[in-house]
Amino acid sequence: MTAKLELRGVSKWFETRSGDVVEALRGVTFDVHAGEFVSVVGASGCGKTTLLRLVDGLLAPSRGEVLLDGRPIAGPGLDRALVFQLDALFPWRTVLDNVLFGLEVQGRLGEEARRAAGELLRFVGLGGFERAYPHELSGGMRQRTNLARALAVDPEVLLMDEPFASLDAQTREIMQAELLRIWNARRKTVLFITHQIDEAIYLSDRVVVLTRRPGQVGDVLAVDLPRPRRLDVKRTPAFGALVDRVWKRIETEVRESVGVPA
Amino acid sequence: MTVRSVEVELGVGAALPRARRRGFFERHQSRIRALGSIVVVFALWELIGRFVITNRLFFVPLSSVFASAGDLWARGELQLHVRTSFLEFALGFGAAALAGIALGAAMAVRRALRDCLDPWVAFLYATPTVALAPLFILWFKLGIESKVAVILLVSIFPILLNTLTGIEGTDRHLIEAARSFGARPMQIFAKVMLPSALPVIVTGLRLGLARGLVGVVVAELFGAKAGLGYLILYSAQTFDMAALFAGVLILALAGVVSSEALKALERRLAPWRFVEVER
Repeated sequence: MTAKLELRGVSKWFETRSGDVVEALRGVTFDVHAGEFVSVVGASGCGKTTLLRLVDGLLAPSRGEVLLDGRPIAGPGLDRALVFQLDALFPWRTVLDNVLFGLEVQGRLGEEARRAAGELLRFVGLGGFERAYPHELSGGMRQRTNLARALAVDPEVLLMDEPFASLDAQTREIMQAELLRIWNARRKTVLFITHQIDEAIYLSDRVVVLTRRPGQVGDVLAVDLPRPRRLDVKRTPAFGALVDRVWKRIETEVRESVGVPA
Repeated sequence: MTVRSVEVELGVGAALPRARRRGFFERHQSRIRALGSIVVVFALWELIGRFVITNRLFFVPLSSVFASAGDLWARGELQLHVRTSFLEFALGFGAAALAGIALGAAMAVRRALRDCLDPWVAFLYATPTVALAPLFILWFKLGIESKVAVILLVSIFPILLNTLTGIEGTDRHLIEAARSFGARPMQIFAKVMLPSALPVIVTGLRLGLARGLVGVVVAELFGAKAGLGYLILYSAQTFDMAALFAGVLILALAGVVSSEALKALERRLAPWRFVEVER
């Protein structure tokens, strides 16, 4: 398999108002193959979100490079779409108009696009809600809209920034299974950010563990659980062993960050 | 709405006991109270005018106010005053709305412009600008220009400042989402910042409108040949209380109607801010 997305020695630091330099990421190197589902997990403050913004092109690396199909990323592009956390839908737009936003700014709006968007909404389970406004929807439905908005521009790479973090535990489980169903049908390359170990393992082909401040790759593990995966795979011993391995890698840091030493 | 119809299809609604239908008075309770309060105060006004303060130099019953308004209308004077004031207001407030929104938006997106204009906006906003009305009369004479200038100056600042804060207050995440889809700066402004700020801008228009109405009266008090402010001043000088109150009531009515219309517009533009709370 060839690498769709490559991070080579990517470092990122920010200068604060007081002139201090905060290092968010240091020498991060890993790749994502075409059609692969890769998750990045780490304790809060490990630079996960910064990593995703670098890949989307909203930020530029301080050192190193991010390559897509072998070419460095210069800015946001049509080949990538970012799925944000819950609150990034436009409240004054209907569900359908939210989904069409990407095509609209890219000047690709037409009858065909509208029809495809309607179909996409039915596909993610929002048929009949085209004219509803985000505030009329539940958290799970808003996140489906968010996902549909990203899928509407038909990107090659889907970047997901803790998309289920603000959902309740049960809704989150259902949405994880839904995401796998959608991914299975569309076969996008996915880079998924989360702080939930079980979520990362359940969804992914490979999991990248990021250590804390500055974020560095601590471990990369292949998840060899067979697909399609049902939700009850989470209760198998093989799954538990994988969770253990990731947890052991970041436990010390999480303990430090909350002040509870082992 | 769609959400509700789905619940019904699933039969969730059907299993619940039917809510007792509330009667007419219960459903319109606050409106009925407001209307009742107006009726009572107007009745008191009439009674006090007839039986308590009978000196017509100080106070008149409501019926005399209506009679006087009818009289002025019959002579064609009231139409002239209303038309004059309305034209002054429309021009002054219209110019304030255009300039206020344009300047506020420009200041929100151009840091340098904002830094240069900030002290002047703060200075002029804090100054009771109606005090400049006599100066404008001197500059622009008694014609419509002086009134338009006063109204423009008093009503522009709430519009400008609300536009500025509305655009600046655009959710950072929404801007980032638009950027991520490859939106250009002009598209971000037109498709994200402006719609996001629109309800705040309309609130600014509502505040500016109230100040503009004061501006009409004050500008006309300092020198005019017609208009509702002129009618009030002239009536006061000739001790015609009925005509004075007629002028005041028409201004009040114009204020209430236009302000309510803008409130309704705010609600239409940003329905997500007025999500109905369950009682």
